[in-house]
Amino acid sequence: MSLPRPIIAISIVASLLTSAFAILASNNLLPAVAQDTNAVRKIVGGQTMGYGAYETTGDILDTANSGTKLSNDAVVDPVKYLRSFNYGRVSTLPDGTTLREFTLVADDRQTKEITPGVHYNVWTFNGTVPGPTLRATEGDLMRIIFINNGTMAHNIHTHGIHKAEMDGVFETINPGGRFVYEFYAEHFGVYPYHCHVQPLESHISHGLHGVYIVDPKTPRPPADEMVMIMNGFDTDFDTENNFYAVNSIPFYYMHHPIEIEKGKLVRIYLVNMLEFDQINSFHLHGNLYNLYPTGTSLVPNELTDMVTMSQGERAILEFTYNYPGVYMFHAHKTEFAEKGWTGLFNVKDSSENDIKTATASFGEK
Amino acid sequence: MIDKMEREEDKLGHSAGRTALSATKMVAMALIPIVILGVMIAYLLGPAKSFLNTGIPLPEVTIETIEFQEGKVIALIRNTGPVDVTIAQADINDRIHPAAIEPSKEVPRLATAKVVIPFPWKAGDPYVIGVTTSDGIRFSKGVTAAAPAATPSIGQASFFALVGTYVGIIPVLIGLLWYPFIRRLGMNAYRFFLSLTAGLLVFLGMDAIIESNKIASQNVADVFNAQILIAMTAILSFLALLYVSRKLVDRAQTRTVSESTSRVQINQQELLVKPVAIALMVSIGIGFHNFGEGLAIGAAVVFGQIALSTFLIIGFTLHNTTEGLAIVAPLAKIGSARVLVRKLALMGLIAGAPTIVGTWIGGFFFSPIAAIVFLSIGAGAIFQVVYAIYSWMMGKSDTNKTKTMFSDAYAIAGFAVGMLIMYATGLLVPS
Repeated sequence: MSLPRPIIAISIVASLLTSAFAILASNNLLPAVAQDTNAVRKIVGGQTMGYGAYETTGDILDTANSGTKLSNDAVVDPVKYLRSFNYGRVSTLPDGTTLREFTLVADDRQTKEITPGVHYNVWTFNGTVPGPTLRATEGDLMRIIFINNGTMAHNIHTHGIHKAEMDGVFETINPGGRFVYEFYAEHFGVYPYHCHVQPLESHISHGLHGVYIVDPKTPRPPADEMVMIMNGFDTDFDTENNFYAVNSIPFYYMHHPIEIEKGKLVRIYLVNMLEFDQINSFHLHGNLYNLYPTGTSLVPNELTDMVTMSQGERAILEFTYNYPGVYMFHAHKTEFAEKGWTGLFNVKDSSENDIKTATASFGEK
Repeated sequence: MIDKMEREEDKLGHSAGRTALSATKMVAMALIPIVILGVMIAYLLGPAKSFLNTGIPLPEVTIETIEFQEGKVIALIRNTGPVDVTIAQADINDRIHPAAIEPSKEVPRLATAKVVIPFPWKAGDPYVIGVTTSDGIRFSKGVTAAAPAATPSIGQASFFALVGTYVGIIPVLIGLLWYPFIRRLGMNAYRFFLSLTAGLLVFLGMDAIIESNKIASQNVADVFNAQILIAMTAILSFLALLYVSRKLVDRAQTRTVSESTSRVQINQQELLVKPVAIALMVSIGIGFHNFGEGLAIGAAVVFGQIALSTFLIIGFTLHNTTEGLAIVAPLAKIGSARVLVRKLALMGLIAGAPTIVGTWIGGFFFSPIAAIVFLSIGAGAIFQVVYAIYSWMMGKSDTNKTKTMFSDAYAIAGFAVGMLIMYATGLLVPS
């Protein structure tokens, strides 16, 4: 029953100190962070109807608008990627066949920015997600030199018609290894290519995917052509995507609207490479598009503003805007839309500008 | 024999120490291990850093509170992981929303930040608030029903005071009215009621420990080791109250002894002093408990976890009336009936009034750690009181009966009934 007094005293002091610290810490008094009263005040919110604006001296977290900027180590430049087509190193074989040589280097060691402020270990073909868009004309000979510069086995599986040994499935190329894929570009259409090493889901969702386009021998009508690959990233490894996008960066085309011309044909090569979710979709505002599923026909099979695709499905979309202005396009699975898969077309009336410039120059004369 | 040896050794050690060691040497001896420890830490932070750092430290962010203000949702987050984190974005119901973070999106270890998300929320709807760190990991916390944040205002404060009065003070005072009844009981029935009190208190103590564990696991990040804090605080408060109560009794007795030499008088005084001290201890213990209960009520009202209803108030009233009984039981047999009404009322207030203060603090500045600390202090205090009641009961009974004290049918029945009453009335209160 009787305890030495010093022990009791020490116990009481210790308990008081502990509780005081705990209470202070939980009441946000420790550690003290000085408030800079002269800091620049920034405003967040207010872009969406019904949402108030908030003025802060802190930082803005806003990837959907231009509030937060991408740094230089983004996984892809969505503007550049959109209209880039890689036709390869072209030469003609003795029999007159066009040979197109491509080099694809796989790497799995890079950590890159996938949305402003979020860095993620991406697995890439030639350093970007998606990999470069390969393009050929029906009948061309494709030669893809594949180099595995990563730490795991990788390979390339291209959709389309080819010999079994060029399918890429049974050859796994070890780190430091090399493989040359050769096949004829057939049939015309739009195809995905991706790594086919298991676990497949992991290799594809980390970024080893890209688009391969085969043009018909008689080219399609001239158009403003672009590639959109619907993808996403599961950054916390819970087999659910945290981010959705076309061309990897969520909301990018929201704050960098894609400029197109009024009255000019737009052609989108659309591929769904989204993992984990069953389906994805593409909805266009203020317009309808001609849908060419898989791009293997020159005749559209539907005029619509909504296409739903499963994994690996793709299509060509063709449309022309008759009214200038800003139009949204997004997944009509709105969850994806609100996690990044939303963008804008800015339809410009260039004829109006032409007329204006013409009148101006006429007036000068 | 052993005793003797120890004493001799002690003597030897003492004399050797005195002759051989100066004060500076003593200080040096105390400091040497600390200096070596410092060198060791410097080595670990310097040269050894490269080969000892294996594995990847995973970030962890805890959302501590979520507040709903007009047109915006405010989350207080804390970096509870081993590394500094940078917050990249915020979301509501897993949908990305533009937000502001203050003071900065860079949150050092254990520091906090305020995330403000402009959002037209609807009262009563459930929401999950999330933040994503720069490496893409999302941390989230849910709210079952959004309710506007309580701002400290006179209206809100008096509302809480009213609730606290109904839930804390009135029931305890009602319970005190059992005093005349307890006084007139026979010895066996009295023992029954004293044990009943012990049963009530043991229930309250266990309840406090469980409740604080629940708060610890739901609201406090692992890094604060809140569960061990519960045990620590309870044990220390037990020891502290043990010390205080012994002092109280000792002081009263020495005063008595100096005033009179009559042995009979001492016995009489002891009979008076001890029960009053015990009753006071009971009310202090219950006071701590009710403070913790008030914190929980205030916070629950503010965070929309419970809807205060007449039914709930009735539940708390029934539950807490028994606390009054616990205070009067030790006082019943002190011989003279001169237990002052004032003294009793004061004890009632000591036990009940902390509820009001608790609801204010819980409602306006809720801190889970504070709730845990006060609930654990209450638990420790309550167990000390139970100990005091039993040792007092043993002291009062005849030497022959001492051994059978705990196996006495009246005592056991009382203890069981006490716990059952608490259990039954506890069913009326949501946990």
